[in-house]
Amino acid sequence: MYRSQRLSLRYYTAAITLFGVMILFGLLSALYYVFPSMLFEVLNFSTSKILHIDTLVIWLLMAFLGAVYWYLPQELEHEVVGIRLAEATFWVFCAVVAVVAVVFLVVQIGDSTAFTLWFINQGRKYVEAPRWASIGVVVVMGVFAYNVVATCVKARRMTGVTWVLVLDLIPLLAVYMDAFPADENMSRDLYWWWWLVHMWVESTWEVLIGCIMAMVLMDVMGTSRRIVETWLYIEVMLVLGAGILGLGHHYFWIGTPEYWLSIGGFFSALEPLPLLGMVVHAVYDAGEHRLRTVNRPAFFWITTEAFLNFIGAGVWGFMMTLPQINLFSHGTQWTVSHGHFAFYGAYVCGVIAVFYVAKQKTSGVACLDDRFWKWGYGLLNIGMVGMVMGLLLAGITQAFYGRAIGGSTLMAFTQVSENPWFLSGIWARLLFGIVFAAGYVALVYDLLRKPRSNAVGAGEIAGAAT
Amino acid sequence: MTPTAFVATALLMGAFVLAGGGYGSLYSVGRLQGRPRLIRMGAVCLVVALGFAAAIVVATPLAVGWKILIGVSAAGYAAIPPLVWRYLEQLHSGGRAMR
Amino acid sequence: MDTISVGPPRAGVGGDLADPRFWAAGAISTTIVMLIVLAFLTVDSLSVITAGGRNVPAYDVINRHIGYEFNWARHRDVPVIGGLEPLFGQTVTEAEAAALMEKGKLVIQSRACMDCHTFFGNGAYYAPDLTKSWLDPAWENIWMPMTGKATREAAMVEFLMHPDQYPTWNRRMPNLHLTEEEARATVAYLKWVSSVDTNGFPANFRTTKPDHAKQP
Repeated sequence: MYRSQRLSLRYYTAAITLFGVMILFGLLSALYYVFPSMLFEVLNFSTSKILHIDTLVIWLLMAFLGAVYWYLPQELEHEVVGIRLAEATFWVFCAVVAVVAVVFLVVQIGDSTAFTLWFINQGRKYVEAPRWASIGVVVVMGVFAYNVVATCVKARRMTGVTWVLVLDLIPLLAVYMDAFPADENMSRDLYWWWWLVHMWVESTWEVLIGCIMAMVLMDVMGTSRRIVETWLYIEVMLVLGAGILGLGHHYFWIGTPEYWLSIGGFFSALEPLPLLGMVVHAVYDAGEHRLRTVNRPAFFWITTEAFLNFIGAGVWGFMMTLPQINLFSHGTQWTVSHGHFAFYGAYVCGVIAVFYVAKQKTSGVACLDDRFWKWGYGLLNIGMVGMVMGLLLAGITQAFYGRAIGGSTLMAFTQVSENPWFLSGIWARLLFGIVFAAGYVALVYDLLRKPRSNAVGAGEIAGAAT
Repeated sequence: MTPTAFVATALLMGAFVLAGGGYGSLYSVGRLQGRPRLIRMGAVCLVVALGFAAAIVVATPLAVGWKILIGVSAAGYAAIPPLVWRYLEQLHSGGRAMR
Repeated sequence: MDTISVGPPRAGVGGDLADPRFWAAGAISTTIVMLIVLAFLTVDSLSVITAGGRNVPAYDVINRHIGYEFNWARHRDVPVIGGLEPLFGQTVTEAEAAALMEKGKLVIQSRACMDCHTFFGNGAYYAPDLTKSWLDPAWENIWMPMTGKATREAAMVEFLMHPDQYPTWNRRMPNLHLTEEEARATVAYLKWVSSVDTNGFPANFRTTKPDHAKQP
């Protein structure tokens, strides 16, 4: 085992912990909707919401870093260069996250001064973390970039996957710089903010998880490198080909010119088509490799990712992406429904697969399939689908009564927030959120427990795999 | 767009893509397991998807450009599963030959 | 089916589809083309959304009346900039207006407004959208009588400074300890935001002035 893989296990531990924190504050945020005066002026909705969405970004980022630290030495057959620096920055990363969380919980907000932006709260969604902490994240990612590039140089080896990874480091660092400005012009602020949220969290990360999944497929399913790399290139081409100008669907209503209505609508309406191709690919792969997989949970999570990505990003996105629809659906719980489903399908499923790969490798069993993983799998998926259905109901109600009929005034907003359809959707979200949290507990329990060595299965698989 | 037409259009759009996805899934599982019955069920999904697309084009107040786009992407939903499947078979058989 | 990929890559119009290099080249060229297009669109969009650009009025628009009316040519609601209507009865210079905007935006960021509210529909969806809040009839119908203030802006300042004293419904706004200066800057900011041309978002918004009601 490479030293860098031990670092990656630490990153996974931190990621899974923050995944739990995210769920905790997600549940809390859901509770405010049904008990609005809860914790009033003690811990307001905004703080809970910040902790929910910021931990989302951080735990996924940590899981990605962990996955790359896991696979990079394996891919290049060389220990990661600068590993001690990487180990040190892991603790820096954890310390930064902890301090920011405490400041959010205790201090929450500040005066309208630059001091607040530097040390308390930047108040820009997803990147509320104060500037000093954002600098910390830049340092962590800078060291990460150095590790990747230096290892490639030292190993004198580049594979197709590492080329994509190295090129993806450029936007990973460059676009994150968007976490700092405080433009007084809201239109311009949001213009660049969407580069952060769409280009960084969506496009750049999508390429990153594409690289990770390529390495997982070679590792878990034994797919040949040529096939995996061909698919990675196709995926990058489609993701960036539709995604870069798909940015336009965020530029409908922020003051930007009318041509974004056509551009954004066109490119994002095409987005489900490549996702459909991915579904076909996942089924093909399932057939090709089912007998040879040595890690059933990872295999199931990877396959699920393709389907839920199609539904979450494809179906849910297409429903509301054309400007004439989006005019009413934008900024309601409908958006929330799409956001939850798309993030879960695009990233969370894949990241959980990566966790299971690590579990198998560290425990040393030939075959990982001891039934209990199905609890986490089932509860998380049922919880997520239930939540997004509830949010969809709430969102459609808001868009219909509050927007299309009510016209978006304060009165329209408050009235629709007491509409029984809206409330039942919000309640459903809370209840399925609890199911999701139970799934998280089952997942963590399963990841931590010692796997039973499955003699029959292991023999069967070993025979097929060699 | 009236409030009712708005909700109906959005739901039709979602149902259209969902049915298209149903075709892709059933088609590929049917091919994988060699079960023509699944492929036929997939074809039913495709017909349903095309029906939703037709309903969007005929009955919703979307602008003409968007309706054309819906028509084009309906063709995409019909074409992609068999095309991708064939491509994958070629890719993998090529892979074996080269390995 | 078996004719493909055995032997060296075939020469052809599209190259060999099973050759990874073909797709690598495709990925790189597609990305570069899209980035170039995006760069041009960004330059153009920034000129439109910079204050004083086509869609985003200069900050001293807060000296004027702002309406929101249906435009039959563009088929959507658009902001209408009217005659003089100085905020708090004081006309401000361009520089003073810019300073107010900077302060107002700092208030909005430091109090994490967008983690409950939304601007242009972006934010946290827990509290009302603020895009056209300056034009919301609730100020005249609810808060002016409730606060006993004679003008919309005075009622807004009073509410922003003591939201906990004017509960409206079960989701209440917490007291975020705004000073009067901060509250006034925030009101100025909200007035400016309402003048931005957002391609008709939000639609069907009923403004404060009933005479601006839509034509049949």
